[in-house]
Amino acid sequence: LPIVVLLLRCTLRSSAVQQTSGSTHHPQRAWLSSQVPLCGHHTPKHRTGLYGPFTHPQQTLGSSRGPLSLPLFTQRVALSQGPNTSTAKIRLRTRLVVTLLFGGGLLGTWWYVRNEKQQNHRMQRIEQLKKVALGQGDFSLLDHRGHRRTKRDFLGSWVLLYFGFTHCPDICPDELDKISAVVSALDKDPSLPAVQPLFVTVDPERDDVPALERYVKDFHPRLIGLTGTPEEVKVAGKDYRVYASPGPKDEDGDYIVDHTILIYLVNPDGLFLDYYNRMKDDVQIAESVRNHMKSYIKLPE
Amino acid sequence: MSAPNSNQRKACWGARDELWKCLDDNQDNAASCEKFQKEFEASCPAQWVKYFTKRRDFLKYKEKMQTEGFEPADRPKESQS
Repeated sequence: LPIVVLLLRCTLRSSAVQQTSGSTHHPQRAWLSSQVPLCGHHTPKHRTGLYGPFTHPQQTLGSSRGPLSLPLFTQRVALSQGPNTSTAKIRLRTRLVVTLLFGGGLLGTWWYVRNEKQQNHRMQRIEQLKKVALGQGDFSLLDHRGHRRTKRDFLGSWVLLYFGFTHCPDICPDELDKISAVVSALDKDPSLPAVQPLFVTVDPERDDVPALERYVKDFHPRLIGLTGTPEEVKVAGKDYRVYASPGPKDEDGDYIVDHTILIYLVNPDGLFLDYYNRMKDDVQIAESVRNHMKSYIKLPE
Repeated sequence: MSAPNSNQRKACWGARDELWKCLDDNQDNAASCEKFQKEFEASCPAQWVKYFTKRRDFLKYKEKMQTEGFEPADRPKESQS
């Protein structure tokens, strides 16, 4: 990038010296022409000193103000400088074009390399998470309408999975709102497949089918709540190494379940690909899901 | 006892935010914010009241750590066995 800046400065400086401008309020040009040139294109007779910063030899040509407003000696010098303008302009134009092409080339290369690097990072991460091999097992749960659902039912869809409980004070509603926002954002893009959000309870004692039905309707319409017997729920949680620990009950019998607060991304082959914690907002998650979808290669049957 | 629905949650969070704002304005003087405290306790399940109170304590503690620095408590020396 500094090389581009240097080249641009050279061309600008030379252009300032050789082009006409038709105005006298050019403190910039005075500065430019008094600087030591770094590119060696500076023709000595265009410097300040003899004529002053505003008395450019070529100002009479193409000037809108008329020749009589300028000192006489500049007009004479202008007429003698005539033939050099066109070649100077061509040289300038070629230089500008070359600079722009070179700068553009540099920028393009940098952009390409950066994208390649990001793609590499993403693939590495996927490999690492595959080694962790979460979500390999099967689960069998009841959805919020009372229908039995197994993991098999969700193959073929991208799934965003969250474990929580309906008596959760703030975190679960926040995360479910976030998931709803992500799904809505991705829904807007017709080229992407629909994402299936899932909410699995870590509190099967209280979160039965009616409780889940009441809960999920506050979020995205496609959100499915899943519950079951404590054993069934434990199997599902273990599959994703979800930590869940009910706290002490108070006089109402109410308690808070301490649990892993992560959103899991599962691909259409049922493979766990990525996870998102509280720090990731809906825009970042949507972007990540989009990238996973783009780089998804279907496993052979 | 069924879980609070969306409206009830929002009411609870609103009451909590009012209380916390009052406490912030009064240097955590609980006496000045009794009205908000009552409103908060009425709008939220008991477990949530406990949870949010602890949360505020934690947030204040975290703020203190970040602004005033951390002084490790004296630990008993490890015994060589």
